[in-house]
Amino acid sequence: MDLQTVGNILLQVLVGGLSLGVLYAIVALGYTMVYGVLQLINFAHSEVFITGGIIAYLVFSGLQGVAMNGYVKLLLAGLAAMAVSGLLNVLIERLAYRPLRGAQRLVPLITAIGVSLVLQDLLRFLVGLRGQFDLSVPLPQGFANPITSVLGINISVLNLQVKDVILIVVAALMLVGLNLLVNHTRLGRAIRAVAHDRQTSGLMGIDANRIISLTFLIGGALGGLGGVMFAMKYQALNAYSGTVPGLKAFTAAVLGGIGNIPGAVLGGLVLGWLETLLGVISLFGSIPGLAWLGAIKAEYKDIGAFLALILILFLKPAGLLGKATTEKV
Amino acid sequence: MPETQVIAGTPRTVGAPMLELQNIHTYYGQIQALKGLNMTVNTGEIVALIGGNGAGKTTTLRTISGMMKPRTGTVTYEGQNVTGVPSYTIMSRGMSHVPEGRRIFPQLTVRENLEVGAYTVMDRRLIEQRIQEGFALFPRLKERESQLGGTMSGGEQQMLAIARALMVNPRLLLLDEPSMGLSPLFVEAIFDIVEQLNKERGTTILLVEQNASMALAIADRAYVLQTGEIKLSGPAADIAQDESVRKAYLGDE
Repeated sequence: MDLQTVGNILLQVLVGGLSLGVLYAIVALGYTMVYGVLQLINFAHSEVFITGGIIAYLVFSGLQGVAMNGYVKLLLAGLAAMAVSGLLNVLIERLAYRPLRGAQRLVPLITAIGVSLVLQDLLRFLVGLRGQFDLSVPLPQGFANPITSVLGINISVLNLQVKDVILIVVAALMLVGLNLLVNHTRLGRAIRAVAHDRQTSGLMGIDANRIISLTFLIGGALGGLGGVMFAMKYQALNAYSGTVPGLKAFTAAVLGGIGNIPGAVLGGLVLGWLETLLGVISLFGSIPGLAWLGAIKAEYKDIGAFLALILILFLKPAGLLGKATTEKV
Repeated sequence: MPETQVIAGTPRTVGAPMLELQNIHTYYGQIQALKGLNMTVNTGEIVALIGGNGAGKTTTLRTISGMMKPRTGTVTYEGQNVTGVPSYTIMSRGMSHVPEGRRIFPQLTVRENLEVGAYTVMDRRLIEQRIQEGFALFPRLKERESQLGGTMSGGEQQMLAIARALMVNPRLLLLDEPSMGLSPLFVEAIFDIVEQLNKERGTTILLVEQNASMALAIADRAYVLQTGEIKLSGPAADIAQDESVRKAYLGDE
């Protein structure tokens, strides 16, 4: 294997890992925002996420053959998925978590797992009504086209498709938008105030329940968008497809420091790159002296992600960007 | 030490009852913290609520501001029954509560803390005006405008907590132990501001304090609370002269 080939593989990892990483990041934000306001791990987020993917399937296949700009289809799918997943998340909080407010922390946690299971089977039932189990997502025209050159530079080595660029751009816009919302608006300040000290936020005139609902709405909408991205990236999903990526996005949130918004993004990117790298690392086994890398087959990439989590938490228990908070009394 | 500034506003006039507690019983689970509390705060007054640790002072304020719901009894504020009304509605009723331990938002900057305090104020120009008023009152806060609240000293955090409570321009200010953990110089500065707010802005103040001598020095009237019951009440000057109060709370032998 020559240097050129190694470089090309690493470049592909960089770009491929980025489009996977932003997907994890978008989904991880839903975990981390909810954790921020309620200190609850919303395990049902994987189903809220894959609901977005199913909506994307419904919109794309419903509009298949309709002469309409692909980006308009994407916009429709994105808006529908964000609305449905966002409202679903709000509903989950109302029905399952709010009645348990004030109970021991383990109680809502177990409930979250229960909600996740109920939703999985509900989704399977709904998909089954159409006589299907595995859904194959038709992409809008042109989304799968390869991008071979940018500004005259040949980049065909990157194996890039139009949809990869769409994923990265959409995710970047969302991250910038969320950052503005959280750090520079009245609502964002209220979310942070409720996250830090719910009782005192009440003394500021903030209705914490309303803010918690809005946080579930925003987190769920991001999850739904993540589902659309997932559907575009893999073009195949079923009612259970949310579990593993959901777990990885949760891992990304913990990796970055749960409750920390930039941390979720960083954790997602790290995980995306790591996983993509591990997927191809056995190729480097043909390099003299690195033969042992050949033993790390692509199937190990999931283990690698979770090993990284264990390692980082061992070295830095609060996560990459998490801080052990100190408060003066 | 911060210089104290003149506060613009209407000079106070003492008038009709603004806040009335009638037969308040408040519990923490099975433990009864308040046992039939009756008290009144009149418009324009500074009323001190003094007592030892665990007497129920903080519980009284929490019951008034809706952070806790009394099992029985009524809280009347400006003629309206506000018993058990959720605390997030109190800011729109012209009441502000500086909680025990200050409870500023440590991860928010000083300015953001003030902006959160103005959550119920929609007029951006008014918010900015009040932030500047807060800075005039506590120049130290202006120096620390973009610093995180949690990185400030206890005295500065207390200033921030008060400035944050003033963002809604309250008619009634509930203050829970503003002197707690502060150096004597800071305590004096804080009490000066409290007195000034009352005199020059006409803000009615209910002050909970363990530092009884300071509280009685600026208050018009006082209540002495002991294990959830009012033991004594009257003009602050009389309370300060009372033998049992002097022994228990003012350190006289």
